[in-house]
Amino acid sequence: MASAFAMIMAGGFSEHLSVLTETRAEAAVPFGGKFRIIDFPLSNCVNSGIFNVAVLTQYKPRSLNDHIGIGKPWDLDRAQGGVRLLQPYQGGPYGDWQKGTADAVRRNLDFVLQQDEEHVLILAGDHIYLMDYQPMLREHMQSGADLTVAVRRVNPHETHRFGIVTLGADDRIVDFKEKPRRSRETLASMGIYVFRKDLLVETLQAHDYLDFGKDVVPAMIAEGRLVRAHAFPGYWADVGNVQAYWEANMSLLAEDPALNLYDAEWVVHTRSEDRAPAKFGANAQTGGSLISNGCWVEGAVERSVLSPGVRVAEGAIVRDSVVLADTVIETGAIIDRCVIDKRVVIGAGAHVGEGDDNTANKVMPEVLNTGLTMVGEKSVIPEGLVIGRNVVIHPESTEKTFGKKKKIASGSDIGVNLR
Amino acid sequence: MRTIAMILAGGEGTRLTVLSEERAKPAVPFAGKFRIIDFTISNCVNSGIYTVGVLTQYRPHSLNDHIGIGKPWDLDRSRGGVRLLQPYQARRGQNWYAGTADAIYQNLNYIRENRADNVLILSGDHIYKMDYRPMIDYHLAKGADLTIGVMPVPLEETHRFGIMQVDEDQRIVQFYEKPKDRDKGNLASMGIYVFNANVLERYLSEGRPEKPRNDFGKDVIPAMISAGEKVFAYRFEGYWVDVGTIDSYWATSLELLGPTPALNLYSDKWPVLTKSEERPPVKIGPQAKIVNSMVSNGCIIRGMVVNSVLSPGVYVSPGAVVQDSVVMNDTWIGPGARLDRVVIDKKVVVGAGAVVGTGNLETVNEQMPDRLFAGITVVGKRAYIPDGAQIGRNVLINSGRDEADFPADKIVADGKTI
Repeated sequence: MASAFAMIMAGGFSEHLSVLTETRAEAAVPFGGKFRIIDFPLSNCVNSGIFNVAVLTQYKPRSLNDHIGIGKPWDLDRAQGGVRLLQPYQGGPYGDWQKGTADAVRRNLDFVLQQDEEHVLILAGDHIYLMDYQPMLREHMQSGADLTVAVRRVNPHETHRFGIVTLGADDRIVDFKEKPRRSRETLASMGIYVFRKDLLVETLQAHDYLDFGKDVVPAMIAEGRLVRAHAFPGYWADVGNVQAYWEANMSLLAEDPALNLYDAEWVVHTRSEDRAPAKFGANAQTGGSLISNGCWVEGAVERSVLSPGVRVAEGAIVRDSVVLADTVIETGAIIDRCVIDKRVVIGAGAHVGEGDDNTANKVMPEVLNTGLTMVGEKSVIPEGLVIGRNVVIHPESTEKTFGKKKKIASGSDIGVNLR
Repeated sequence: MRTIAMILAGGEGTRLTVLSEERAKPAVPFAGKFRIIDFTISNCVNSGIYTVGVLTQYRPHSLNDHIGIGKPWDLDRSRGGVRLLQPYQARRGQNWYAGTADAIYQNLNYIRENRADNVLILSGDHIYKMDYRPMIDYHLAKGADLTIGVMPVPLEETHRFGIMQVDEDQRIVQFYEKPKDRDKGNLASMGIYVFNANVLERYLSEGRPEKPRNDFGKDVIPAMISAGEKVFAYRFEGYWVDVGTIDSYWATSLELLGPTPALNLYSDKWPVLTKSEERPPVKIGPQAKIVNSMVSNGCIIRGMVVNSVLSPGVYVSPGAVVQDSVVMNDTWIGPGARLDRVVIDKKVVVGAGAVVGTGNLETVNEQMPDRLFAGITVVGKRAYIPDGAQIGRNVLINSGRDEADFPADKIVADGKTI
């Protein structure tokens, strides 16, 4: 009998994922071919024996709602517990929009109070990792901690992206700094918390804290509560920006990847679509790639990740790219270092991700500066069009959007932002 | 008008040798992730028929697991849906299904309970995409008692089918079940019948218990024609195959690989639904090459795959070559192994450097010359082929064979059986 239930934060809009989150919540962004990001925390829950899971949504949840449904793929369609999608609502003492992770839980405190479990596992919906939560829960209960935070070592150059903890004796957290500019410590919070439920409820009722990392954790440490760290040694990636998203996809292509999707003992469950096996034509070349069911490849695919139903026509080349479901790449088109969303049509002979001009994107230079070109859902790239690097093509762009242009310079921003 | 479907899925399919040894023929995997019965069940739901009885008898476990409550086909319904109909004991006695018609006779209750006006009787062994609605409309328009789906077949194959002769109104005047002579024409029954429910009940019940009509082709249809009932032929134009033999199973699988196969599995209009396993995408190593093949989810390909169909979870090691073969779920192919014209069942291990399918295509199998003659070697479920083994053509390796079952020099000549 699990003594904890899980709450997954899936309401974020994550601007730094560019076109991918213009049409859906970050947690619903496809990853690794046929999965979506939320499959990882959801599968971790059921694989850890936690069958009472709430998913908190807010930003563009439709795709997430469709995906999770009644929770069938995770065996979460249950009479006791199961998965529940919690949307923002009006009325009562708690109803309102969510203004941060802690606030999101506050908006659902009535739900929290109704659960029988004594502990609450708080998870982020935008991390890629395979983790058994049981050891962390056991440690939390045995040590009698008020709060346990999962931590891992990060690269010293990246400490500014994370909440950094300082450990005292017996894994007790004595200091917590959210996104410090500089830090000598390299232990970072993974955004995974186990709270004693009564204390969480009390804290959220008594204070107006909005965010766990910024407000709740530092406050609890300051109050002298027993806040402990649980070290997690495995693979974990926060795919909250385009570069990290692309890198995490590419890292699946290694011979022996850090994230093993082929482990029968720890299956990542997802809503599998009914599609025929992947089909390879007589002249197909597909070295070093991940290709999902329903794909039909006649051309060349090098070091790329293809979601279900992608068609690559003869003579087309897809290189170092992530291509999402049902996109069609016509004859002679070249795709180089791109992230292409669903149902895009790349016209014959078009070249997306061309040249060495690495001018950063003019709208989001701090995010798109590594040469990745993004194409939004349902866009149509006209035949023969040449598109440079760090370009954003917003969703549903058509031939009209491009006008008579033959070439789109690096760093351009084309179409209408649907955010 | 209510139409329900009854799918006959109890057949043993002996000519498929080891593929149908541990499972009924309709449960034999096909086209990577499908099973043969998926085509018929999908046809039913795509045609709007949501009450489907599946009649099982021979080794049904694999089929029961596969169909379950019918979730993949949206047949998990409170009214109608899919029912697995097994042989049962009753107060009046216990009887295995003695034939196709007897199987339906023993389940007449199910037909009555569903208040069916028309009964569509189908075979679970055929691969085709067909909308049954035009055929049912035709049946009603003709005022027929029985309508049989027909198509022309090559004259040299007429001995495998029920062959009929029709008048200008498509009414069937003569029916010959599996005629030996080739002078009966080439209009063959596809084993697809639309019956008026009350006529069906009458013809199945008459003559029992002394002279039961156990088989549709042998007993029921000839009796109806000679009694002057209105029996019509409905011509189907499209892809339809009965993968009765290893040879046709292999050839039908490889036909899927062309640029424009007759059976299109990539259209949204008529999806073939199956129980999809939870598997990650196909992983293709940097040295791998996949040409003119179908590869299912969960496969890891690090060697070469040419003109082949791979089911989910197959592992092809570096240096291995799989050519003109059908490989089923979770088979492991060792480094440097070579497969040529092989059909391999699930969970087989092919040792490093083993060669399967080498030698003379013409040497037929000694024990089953009528079943293994086209140069195809067949490996049964969970067999273990030792490292460096040399296995010829038309060889049959039975399920679960281990290193100890092979000769010491690990050479298996053409036409042998292990």
